[in-house]
Amino acid sequence: MTNFHILAAIDIAGGHLPHFMLGNYMLLLVWLCYLGYRKGKATEEDYYLAGRGQGTIVTSLTIMATFFSSAALLGIPGVVYRDGVSFFLFALNLPVAGVAVYLLGDRMRKLGKARGYVTPADLVGDYYGGAEVRLLAAATSALYVLPYVIMQIKAGGYLAQRLFPDAPPLEFFGSSFTMYEAGVWALSFLTMAYVLVGGMRSVAWTDVIQGILLIFGMLVAGLATIAYFGGLGGYFEAVSALPAKALSAPGYSDKWNAGMLFTICAFASLGSIIQPGQWMRFYAAKDSSTLRKSALVFAVVLPVCFLFGIMLVALGGQVLFPPEITAEGIIPHPSIGAKSSEVDQIVIVMIQRVVPEMLGITFGAIVVTLILIAVLAASMSTADSNLHALSAVLTRDVYDRFIRPQADERERTWVGRIVIVLATMAAVALVEWSQKAGAFNPLELISQLMLLAIAFSSQLLPIAIDVLFLNKGTRKGAISGLTAGIGLVLLLTIKPEWSFGLTKIVHVSAVGIAANAIVFGFVSRATKKVPQKRIDEFRRIIKSKG
Amino acid sequence: MLKTRLSKILASIFLFALIMGPGPGLYLVNPSPDNPSTTTFLGMPVLFAWSSFWFFVQAGVVLAAYRKLWTNDDDLDE
Repeated sequence: MTNFHILAAIDIAGGHLPHFMLGNYMLLLVWLCYLGYRKGKATEEDYYLAGRGQGTIVTSLTIMATFFSSAALLGIPGVVYRDGVSFFLFALNLPVAGVAVYLLGDRMRKLGKARGYVTPADLVGDYYGGAEVRLLAAATSALYVLPYVIMQIKAGGYLAQRLFPDAPPLEFFGSSFTMYEAGVWALSFLTMAYVLVGGMRSVAWTDVIQGILLIFGMLVAGLATIAYFGGLGGYFEAVSALPAKALSAPGYSDKWNAGMLFTICAFASLGSIIQPGQWMRFYAAKDSSTLRKSALVFAVVLPVCFLFGIMLVALGGQVLFPPEITAEGIIPHPSIGAKSSEVDQIVIVMIQRVVPEMLGITFGAIVVTLILIAVLAASMSTADSNLHALSAVLTRDVYDRFIRPQADERERTWVGRIVIVLATMAAVALVEWSQKAGAFNPLELISQLMLLAIAFSSQLLPIAIDVLFLNKGTRKGAISGLTAGIGLVLLLTIKPEWSFGLTKIVHVSAVGIAANAIVFGFVSRATKKVPQKRIDEFRRIIKSKG
Repeated sequence: MLKTRLSKILASIFLFALIMGPGPGLYLVNPSPDNPSTTTFLGMPVLFAWSSFWFFVQAGVVLAAYRKLWTNDDDLDE
């Protein structure tokens, strides 16, 4: 029996342990979805923000689960496996994001509650006035959400491949589906279903279960890896014997220099915490105390899960499954995969090796399945939040403003649901296309997609800071800054060589933010100010106890 | 923002941790591939020890801010 087929070989529940546990997890989600539906009211505010009454436990876990995407359990460990210990420094972005949960989040919450905002564009559009800022903010949100949803759906395919390695293709309505395709469809369909039915309440409640699973999965996997090597001493002895390149910056790919790591920690962290899904969670929080406690939990618990959990697993993977450095790049060990993009699967392979060693075959198989379900949970909890946010953005910021302003609340909620179905189908089609595209594969690595999405959402940062703290910007400044930032990120993503090496030293999000802030500042100095009455009103709300 | 002495001190420490941890400070300890003896500190990879240390500094700042600065809404501007 190889380690990788432990789940299929173990004789628990008649050899159907993964099916049994996965089935129960999905039933639990369906039940939470039903509860969310029963408790919900047929209003837009309830569907998108759960009535703005979410308490500390739900808020902190839903913020964490939304942040913990498949990148947390697949992409980021994949980078550690590929590049070595230098990428551990990436975890220092999390306390920065945690601080922002309170400092930015609470101000957004107060304004949202006082002025009835649902989306990020509601806030910035209301402050600066005019349709252009709202449309640009909505476009920025959509540009963030799509790569993120695609990334999560793709992870569902990987997971199905590993959970059921020997399963034959499934026949359905005369078509044949590989396990990868079945995983992609199953994750998409289930996530879409509970977002459609229960809205924010179902999404947040499922996030609570998923958040707990994620913390458990990351920490147990780390503990099992240390136990596999005979304790901390044995673990550190083994990883210290790795080649010097794996133990130093910039790592094997020469990518993780101080400039890149610093700009990711300082700017991309903030970009990921003001993504539309998180921004809406700030609106949904009950009070300041909720966000204050959530910020503390986020800043302390998340880095522990990374630094002392999942990243240790991936580094241990370099010892057990050394990657090969070739002229074409870094190729994972054959047990991990055949292509460079398959470094993402290191955690899935590692836990099947180390967990049964620590806990024995029977209990180990149960825990391995739970951790694999945690990977699924990471994908679902981010996909649901982003689909839900995209629905709000396209309905509130586009349909309601520009297509059918006379639509009532019920119509808008239904349009939001149609958006969720269409966005899910589009994401599945893109994943399937990229799987079959051969040489041209724009969706290569999960971590690349994550950083690209964050680069887009980061462009909301200059205007968010202006609205919440500075109040110096103007409408034309905001339009120009956002256009410059988004345009530059798009340009440098398509043509990285046009940055003249700059994006090899600093992250593209920081380049976009710098251009955005400079243009925003200069244009704002020369154009018409936001009315003082509006500024005073915003300041009064922010200073209130709200 | 940053109206009190404590808030300025905490913000400075947090920024310093960011510059020292993932920022240019990293090159103070980054091992040289030509000298394998510099890759460990107390038996663990030096960059792991470096990341962990600066994380504890950041977490300490957040905890202090939570207890002393963010304690009630009136202090938000601090």
